[in-house]
Amino acid sequence: MGDKIPAGERAGAAGLFSALVFLPVFFLSAQAAGGVSRVYTLAWSLFAAGTAFAIVYTGRVSFFRRIFFSVSALAFLIHFKLSLLGGVFTAPPSEAPFCHIAMAPYFLNYLYQQYLALMSGGWKLWGPLTLGAAWLFITLAIGRGWCSWACFYGGIDDGLCSLARRPLLKTGHWAQKLRDLPAALLVFMLLVSLALTLPVYCLWLCPFKLTEAFLDGGAVVRRLQYWLMFASLAALVIGPLLTKKRIFCSFLCPFAAWQAFWGRLNPFRVTPDDKKCTGCMACAGICPVMAIKTGPGGRPEILPYCNLCGQCLEACPGGLRYTVFGRDLPARRGWAAGLASAENFFIYSALTLGAVFSALWGPAALRDLVQLTVR
Amino acid sequence: MPALFSEGFLLGLSTGFYCMASCLPLLAPYLMAEGRSVWKINFIIFLEFLAGRFAAYMLFAFLAVMAGKAGRYAMPPWLLPACMLSCGLIMAALAVFRVASGTSACLLRADLDPFFRKLPVALGFVTGISICPPFAAGFLRLLELADVVKGFCYFSGFFTATSLFISPVLAGTPWIGRRANEIGRLTLLIAGLWYTGLGISGLM
Ligand code: SF4
Repeated sequence: MGDKIPAGERAGAAGLFSALVFLPVFFLSAQAAGGVSRVYTLAWSLFAAGTAFAIVYTGRVSFFRRIFFSVSALAFLIHFKLSLLGGVFTAPPSEAPFCHIAMAPYFLNYLYQQYLALMSGGWKLWGPLTLGAAWLFITLAIGRGWCSWACFYGGIDDGLCSLARRPLLKTGHWAQKLRDLPAALLVFMLLVSLALTLPVYCLWLCPFKLTEAFLDGGAVVRRLQYWLMFASLAALVIGPLLTKKRIFCSFLCPFAAWQAFWGRLNPFRVTPDDKKCTGCMACAGICPVMAIKTGPGGRPEILPYCNLCGQCLEACPGGLRYTVFGRDLPARRGWAAGLASAENFFIYSALTLGAVFSALWGPAALRDLVQLTVR
Repeated sequence: MPALFSEGFLLGLSTGFYCMASCLPLLAPYLMAEGRSVWKINFIIFLEFLAGRFAAYMLFAFLAVMAGKAGRYAMPPWLLPACMLSCGLIMAALAVFRVASGTSACLLRADLDPFFRKLPVALGFVTGISICPPFAAGFLRLLELADVVKGFCYFSGFFTATSLFISPVLAGTPWIGRRANEIGRLTLLIAGLWYTGLGISGLM
């Protein structure tokens, strides 16, 4: 919604949009949050609806998206990860892990396990097929948008990115040369996980496991695994602070590559407007995942790694916009007609899905915080 | 002799899955990095890789029989990790050169060094020796046989069956393009570092 529209009309459209986000989020998050009191799910839904209102009213997609996304990741850390710290793990996981980042490089093992389950008749409800169906739905609805709107780990990287005022380290041309590293990691880990029948990503690279219980018994390998885990943690936490780029998501996350590949199934894109683009390439400098390179004629070329965060739209005066398969939707008239744009359809899907999904831990994290302060 | 060939073949069939899982992390990145959308070129790479493996098997058949005859029933313990280490270093070095130089100044150009064009043979050879776990099972049987011709027959059967399991890797190669080559080079680098690490830890 541009500034040319009167403030009253903008507020009306933004109010309608936020109500449309609020309703499904409130009803579905009550299911997702399990036994958590409705007060907390209401608060979480209002947070999502407020984000929707702010985006449509101001037109600043990435600024408000980032707040929601980072708070959601923080809530995940508070509720889920911290509760794991006291847990006892005695062995490496041998089944497909339930974390999406680990599941992509484990996919071949996953198929193998399904084959075994089929042969033995031992189906599991919350098993890989259920998760596979959830992933398919998410991919059809928001595609690569997952990495900037719903991933509970990406929010950490993205939030930290915004803390530094300017980059202390510039990512040079080597960053573009290594930009396919997540895809390479994905291919390699698919093969090695199958060869070893182990979730190799969890054991060797995951910075989130925060436990040493899964690590190898041998001293040399164990030390190497430690170093890689800390390097990965540094890429997640220190990398964005130094470079203002999402270093972990751009170079070490195999799920980013997985989603970049399958994200083609989803219709939403960020597309340069040839008539308005001046070729200044300000967008490439600001893109937190280095998904824009200089294409033919010095114009921006959007790589499949774009996760539709909207950051480049704020840096570019009209040269980039959200589209459906590269095309704009037909323009309409009327105060609420501006809502029927490719941008708003995407934001609606991404924010609603992100808010419902994060209701698995968001309301519970609010409750944890309240209980902590009351005690 | 046919009985020995089929015995090796059956061992290869029963352990083929392990063989596939052991060889693919190496062969697939290599094909991705160096393959083309032209099916023939990829098939030649695949055949060269198999030729390297075959040479390794035959050499080992020979050595195992000799060792069996001499009553020595063990391989030197450093041999397998050393092969793994050399395999990893070759892959990592190739990948670093390819990533650093891009596609123009390519190390694999025939006029630069024809040796590098035969890399698949070398990779096949070192994987044939070191990486496949079922290989050890066949090796023990050869120690008992203590006859070179019988040993060749046995390992020919083993080689034929395991090759069947590796061949599906060709299925994806018609889609190899510039992007796949770029991803493949980085995959080769990671795989090279991985095998180097395995080799070093084995030697230690
Ligand atoms: S290209 Fe734009 S929308 Fe896509 S990830 Fe980069 S900044 Fe975000």
